[in-house]
Amino acid sequence: MTENLETIISVIAETEKAFFYRLSNAATRDDLEEIRIEYLSRKGKVQSLFSLIGKVDGVDRPKIGAELNRVKKAVQDAIDEKQKSFQRTGKAIEFFDPTLPGRTVSIGSLHPLMQVMDEVKQIFVGMGFRIEEGDEIETDYHNFEALNIPKHHPSRDMQDTFYLSDEYVLRTHTSPVQIHTMEDQKPPIRMIAPGRCFRKDTPDATHSPTFHQVEGLCVDRGVSFADLKGVVLAFAQKLFGKDVKVRFRPSFFPFTEPSAEYDFSCIFCKGQGCRVCKDTGWLEISGAGMVDPAVFGFVDYDPDVYSGYAFGMGIERIAMLKYQVNDIRIFYENDLRFLKQF
Amino acid sequence: MKVTLNWLKEFVDFSLSATQVADALTMAGLEVEEVYTLERNFSRVVVGKIVKSQKHPDADHLSLCRVDIGGNILPIVCGAPNAYEGLKAPLALDGSVLLNDLKVETQKIRGFESQGMLCSEAELGLSERSEQLMELTADAEVGKELGQYLGEPDIVFDINVTPNRPDCLSVIGIAREIAAMTGSSLKKPELNITAIPDAIEKYMTVDIKDEERCFRYSGRYLRDITIKPAPFWMALRLHAVGIRSINNVVDVTNYVMMEVGQPLHAFDYRLLEGKKVIVRAAEAGERFTTLDGQEHELDQDSLLICDGVKPVALAGVMGGLNSEVQPDTNTVFLESAYFEPTNIRRTAKKLDLSTESSRRFERGIDPNGTIYAMNRAASLMVDLAGGHVVGDAIDNYPQKVTPVEIDLSVHQSNVWLGVSLKKEQIAEILSSIELSVEQKNGDTLRAIVPTFRPDLTRPIDLVEEIARLYGYDNIEPNVAPRIDQLQEANPRVLFRDFVRQTVSGMGFRETCNLSLIHKKFGHEFLPQKTGFVELLNPLSEDLGVFRPNMIVSLLTSVAYNRNRQMHDMRLFEIGNVAWKEDGRSVKTEKTQIAGILAGHRQENAWYGKAKEFDFYDIKGVVEGLLAKTGIEKFEQESAHDVFWDAESSKVIVDGKSCGAFGKITDDVLTLFKIKTNDLFAFYFDFDKLFENCRKEKIYNPVPRFPSVPFDLAILIDVNVSAGSLEKEIWKSGGENLVDVHLFDYYKGEQVEAGKKSVAFSLTFSSKERTLSDDEIENVIDQILAHLSGQFGAQLRDR
Repeated sequence: MTENLETIISVIAETEKAFFYRLSNAATRDDLEEIRIEYLSRKGKVQSLFSLIGKVDGVDRPKIGAELNRVKKAVQDAIDEKQKSFQRTGKAIEFFDPTLPGRTVSIGSLHPLMQVMDEVKQIFVGMGFRIEEGDEIETDYHNFEALNIPKHHPSRDMQDTFYLSDEYVLRTHTSPVQIHTMEDQKPPIRMIAPGRCFRKDTPDATHSPTFHQVEGLCVDRGVSFADLKGVVLAFAQKLFGKDVKVRFRPSFFPFTEPSAEYDFSCIFCKGQGCRVCKDTGWLEISGAGMVDPAVFGFVDYDPDVYSGYAFGMGIERIAMLKYQVNDIRIFYENDLRFLKQF
Repeated sequence: MKVTLNWLKEFVDFSLSATQVADALTMAGLEVEEVYTLERNFSRVVVGKIVKSQKHPDADHLSLCRVDIGGNILPIVCGAPNAYEGLKAPLALDGSVLLNDLKVETQKIRGFESQGMLCSEAELGLSERSEQLMELTADAEVGKELGQYLGEPDIVFDINVTPNRPDCLSVIGIAREIAAMTGSSLKKPELNITAIPDAIEKYMTVDIKDEERCFRYSGRYLRDITIKPAPFWMALRLHAVGIRSINNVVDVTNYVMMEVGQPLHAFDYRLLEGKKVIVRAAEAGERFTTLDGQEHELDQDSLLICDGVKPVALAGVMGGLNSEVQPDTNTVFLESAYFEPTNIRRTAKKLDLSTESSRRFERGIDPNGTIYAMNRAASLMVDLAGGHVVGDAIDNYPQKVTPVEIDLSVHQSNVWLGVSLKKEQIAEILSSIELSVEQKNGDTLRAIVPTFRPDLTRPIDLVEEIARLYGYDNIEPNVAPRIDQLQEANPRVLFRDFVRQTVSGMGFRETCNLSLIHKKFGHEFLPQKTGFVELLNPLSEDLGVFRPNMIVSLLTSVAYNRNRQMHDMRLFEIGNVAWKEDGRSVKTEKTQIAGILAGHRQENAWYGKAKEFDFYDIKGVVEGLLAKTGIEKFEQESAHDVFWDAESSKVIVDGKSCGAFGKITDDVLTLFKIKTNDLFAFYFDFDKLFENCRKEKIYNPVPRFPSVPFDLAILIDVNVSAGSLEKEIWKSGGENLVDVHLFDYYKGEQVEAGKKSVAFSLTFSSKERTLSDDEIENVIDQILAHLSGQFGAQLRDR
């Protein structure tokens, strides 16, 4: 008795379909092995289908044979493929959700002011300056007198000072570190003094009773105003980019002569004039100058042999420009929503 | 210091625009902070002429005027005292708007119609004089717009004059700078005083008792003075530079002070007794009332101007109430003196009385300029107050100040500036600011400095002038590196940054807090037997003392964030702290690093429930930080006041306390209004860490033989600390014990009461060989025997 060709074809298709259904449910290597034996072993379901060849007419046999070979190969391939995927994952390919949040790692950060300070320090260290430190509580002598700011002199009005006693003040600038350094060392001196300073300024958008400065000093034979301009220019361009220009304007500080205020060309409008630079094209940065020979007198340096330059800058000012912060007080609030941005 | 464009133009010719002048002054060191045109706050105001004026029948202070505005005569009711016939005054027409949006309309005033308003200078915003109608000159064209009559409004420069430039606290001083910049010269008019011949001694003599503090005292006597308002042009200029107009005599003294920089004082001669002026030091406790009505108690630091009987002025600061010019003053004694700067500053500071006069004296005026200023004022008083100068000038000048001579090396100047200017160029620059320059031999120049520049005494002072006038812009920056000046790194700074990086790497955010705090937050944090470093002049009590511990700062930040619904945080900061040892004035300042954990280590998450921080979190941070700095081992000692007694520990390295960590007490949290008690903190004396940190890293060979792990569980009394167990294990573990790790700690049902089980994982390793099982067993037995001896420990599991 010969079976109907269509019937046999459909039996083959059913077997194939059943196989793929079983395979899709295979969760482990054992499951897979079981399925392999069930279908591909000598008495397996695929092998047993070959016995159906004899049940059809001779003309149809090659057709059935080809179909059976195709199914056998498909089953073998699918099992191999599944085998490989098990090798990759070690387990079943079930639904895995890679979009679940990862386990939280606590993220720390450095304060924006300190980041700016670090950057400034790095630039000057790169130019061969040594970083020196000093106390925040200073003697009147080191904070003022040795910097050529005598008692009862109008130049004391330039800084409002917190006094602890007749003798001690909270340093109003980091310049006393320069005095200590010159007292302890002989030229060549090439140093910066980063640190915290204090002035009796009522807090507002641009004033804080605590603030940070970096001041620099270089003393050696033949140090000139042109050297000072060079260092400040190099610093400006390292900090804000190669196209920044620097402008020096004459000014007055008791400890420098000639004295200057220096400005950077506006980093926002490239010197064209904008709201930030009040249409001047320039941003006021800070003061600088050649060390006044009177200061050398206090530290026993011979002004006929040595000359030097000094410069300062406010870290808050630079940070406000860099991060476009318009109120200095936010730096000292330490709001996490602010700190997280840096 | 304010000056106006027109005022400057009286003394120097220039064609620069106002903006160009401002830029040039700024680049020459006179920073122009603001340039503005004087505002005209009025419209529809014309020149009117009062052709008829009669009293209001029912109101004494009102006049009924008829005012000619050129072709039209308007009825005007006016309340000013000077609304007399023939006066030309500004008339605001119906519909005009004046200062402060005052609208003028036709209205009835006390029964009479007024078709406008006759105006004072104040109503027009031209000065603050409001008592009288503004008086226009006789040549004013009736009916003309007032704005046209006044001409172009003047322009004001507000200049920030640095303390070294007293000469620029004057119009002439600034004009001199403009002359130098533009290559023109200063026009300083000659003054000719015509005096009524008489012997001045008949009227006044001057006796300087204190020549150290009064170098020079000049004076003039004037009579036939009529006190009245100063003319409009003078009031306008004074108003423009911020000085209130008083009357013609006082205004002249102020006007000349602004013009030439010499403070002047006019006494009512009638009120000076004994026909003499004595300059002397005040006596301790002497009382004196200045013309602002304030009474001051003086000491010997202050200098007084006295007549034959009483003090009449506080020298250099302010005149006396008892001798000021009165409405009926008809004779005036005019003072023009030079006082020693430091003394004036001391007095002004002590009495908190800074005036335009003291500001100039304390910076140093020109001692050789008293006569010029005095004569300028006298001639103005003659012109404006109808006065007559009587006799010669008095000039008592015991301390003659002569011009300073400075020798300058051209080479030295060029080295300092990094330029190569020629001797002639330098001479030209210095001459432009009125220094006389002699070209001496070779490299040297001699400059003779006029006495109005007290800031120029040394060669370097001249170098600054040269740089300033040559132009800072023209000095080329030198960017060549100086390898020979390179310096070594500072190890403390490197360590500080390393520690900051380490702690932030452990998930902490760096904060930056103010160093000043309110006392109440600091008490708990002061070391024993110390007090606060207190400010003598704090901004407020909230910022009254220096912080004694960095934890105070961190708590401030936690409280700030907790108030803004942020609960969990890890913060740290390195900063300076300070205190005073009891009974001593010497302060102790230290650098500290502190960190704080607040809230939860982990939030509620899909992989686990939220976990609060505990003591062992902060301890882990401390251990991590110390390990990272190369401090592998530290001792613990209990209790620190800032922390809970139980959950706290000192950190002892090499026998010395370096810091502490633990749980913050409820008392402290209440102070900061922090409502949960889940805060743990640590702090270290930064320099102790630095002292003990690993300075050099030297390679320690990695073991080449396998290490052997061994787990050991011990039963022991509950009150034996894990730390002491670990210490004894190390002690008894022999040379091959390389690691001790506590991995289980159990109290409860599984062990007998009063006991706990502690399990350690030990690692053994030898540099020379593979260790045998027997060797390990022996060591374990040794350890067990030791622990049993020390603590009665029993083996639980091996």
